[in-house]
Amino acid sequence: MELTAFWIFSSLAVLSAVGVVFFRNIIYAVLSLISTLIMISGLFFAMGAELIGALQIIIYAVAIVVFYVLVISTVPEFKGKAFEPKFILISLPVGFLIFLELAFVSLYGAWKSNTGIFTPEVISEVSNVKAVSTVLFTKYLFPFEVASLILLVAMIGAIIIGKKEHVIDEEAKS
Amino acid sequence: MELLGTVVVLTIKSLIFILGMFLGAAYLTLLERKFAGHVQQRPGPLHVGPHGFLQPIADALKVLTKEDLVPDSVDKFLFYLASLMAFVPAIMILAVVPFGDPFTIFGVEIKPYITDLNVGILLALAFGSISLYGVIFAGWASNSKYPMIGSLRKAAVLIGYEVALGFAIAGPIMMAGSFSLREIVEAQQNIWFIIPNILAFVVIIFCILAETGRTPFDVQEAEAELVGGYVTEYTGMKFGLFPLAEWYIATFVLSAITVILFFGGWNPLPLMGWLPIPAFVWFFIKVFLLFMFFLWVHWTLPRYRVDQITELAWKVMLPLALANILVVAVWIMIFG
Repeated sequence: MELTAFWIFSSLAVLSAVGVVFFRNIIYAVLSLISTLIMISGLFFAMGAELIGALQIIIYAVAIVVFYVLVISTVPEFKGKAFEPKFILISLPVGFLIFLELAFVSLYGAWKSNTGIFTPEVISEVSNVKAVSTVLFTKYLFPFEVASLILLVAMIGAIIIGKKEHVIDEEAKS
Repeated sequence: MELLGTVVVLTIKSLIFILGMFLGAAYLTLLERKFAGHVQQRPGPLHVGPHGFLQPIADALKVLTKEDLVPDSVDKFLFYLASLMAFVPAIMILAVVPFGDPFTIFGVEIKPYITDLNVGILLALAFGSISLYGVIFAGWASNSKYPMIGSLRKAAVLIGYEVALGFAIAGPIMMAGSFSLREIVEAQQNIWFIIPNILAFVVIIFCILAETGRTPFDVQEAEAELVGGYVTEYTGMKFGLFPLAEWYIATFVLSAITVILFFGGWNPLPLMGWLPIPAFVWFFIKVFLLFMFFLWVHWTLPRYRVDQITELAWKVMLPLALANILVVAVWIMIFG
C-alpha cells in the first residue's frame, strides 16, 4: 500500500517537475509547480507525516505560489514568452550551488534520521503535532525565533522598498 | 484481502458522500430560491412539480443539455481545468468532515466519516484555499477584462480572509488540544466552545461569507459592474459548477465545520439530551440553521466596496482573531 502510494506520488511529482522546466508558457509552468508541491505533500502523507503534508499544501502550494500566479497572470508580457538564453550564464552556477546544498541536506538528513528520541513508536503514541511542537519549542527554540525575526525584517524591508513616494499632483491641487 | 476490503468500503462511502452532496446541493438551490423569493415578497419557483419541488431537476437538465460554447481566444485547457479546480477541492473537504460517532447497525460498525485524520481541520483549510486557483485560472484563461478583474478581486478577498480564518480556528483547537474534528466534538460534551470563543465565531462568520462570495462580499461577480465576474465566458455545465461549488457545497461544508468547532457538533442541545433524537439529526439541524443564517444575510444586506472588504479583513478581523487567542488562553489558565 505505502509502496504503491510512494511510486504514484513520486513519479507524478517528477513528471510535473519536468513540466516546470520545459513548458514554454509560463502559466503552465506554474501550474506544474502547484502539481509538484501537492504530490510532495502526498508523499508526506504516505510516510505518515500528516502535519507536514497539510502544512505543505497550505503554505507552499497555496500561500506562496498564489503570489507567483497573481504576478504572472496580471503581467501580460509574460504570456507564452520564453526566457532569454543569456540568463543561462547566471542561472547555471546558482543552480549548481543550490543543488549542492540540497544534496548535502538530504544526505545529512538520511544519515541523522532516527537518531533522536522520537522513534516511530513514540510518534504513533503521541501524534505528529505533539512531536513536532515539542522539539520545536524546546531544543530548537532559538533557531526558530531567529528564523521568525529574519522573516519579520524581510517583511519590513519589502514594505519599505515597495512603498511609493508620495507624489503631490500639482494639477489636482490647483 | 483486508486492504481490498478497506478500499472497497472507502470507495462506496466516498460515492455516497459525493452523490448525497450533489443531490443536497441541488435542493439547497431550491431552498435558496424559495427563501430569496419570500424575502423579496414573491413566491419563488412554483410551477415545476408540486409547489416547485422538482425545479432543481429541471434546472440540472437544462444546464446539462445547453450548448457548450467555448470562446475563440481562450486558453482551452485551462478554461476547462479551471471549472474543475474550483469544484473538486470544495467537495474534497467532505473527506475530513465527520457526521457523527461510529454506530452499529445489524452487527456492522458504520463510521459516518471518510477519514479521521489527526490534522483534519488543517486539511479542510488547505482544500478550501486550493479552490482559489480555480477562480484565478478561470479569470486568466477567459482572456477577457471582466473575468480578470473579477478573479483578482476574489483573490484579494480570499488572501485577506484565509489569514484571519487560520487564526480564528486556533481557539477551539487550543481548548480541545487536538486538530482532529472528531476529538474537537468529543471535547464539547459539557460546554460548547462558543462560550469563550465568541470573537472567533464572529470572525469565522465573516470569513465564510467572504470565502463563499455571498452578498456583503460578492464583489467578484457584482452584476452591475462586472457582468458576471469570472464566470462571464462560461456556458452550460461549466458555468453551473462555479455557483454550485461556491454558494452551496462550500457554504454547506464550511457551516458543518463551524458547527463542529463552536456548537458541539452532534451533541444535543443543552437540557435536551433525553429526547430520542439520533446524533446526526442534531448535527443536521444545527448545520441547517447556520446555512439559513447565511442565506438571510445574503438576501438582506447590500454589498461592500473592495477597499472596505480588504480593510475589514486586515484591520478588524485579524486583530479580533488574535484577541480571541488571548481570551482563550486566559480562560484555559483559569478554568483548566
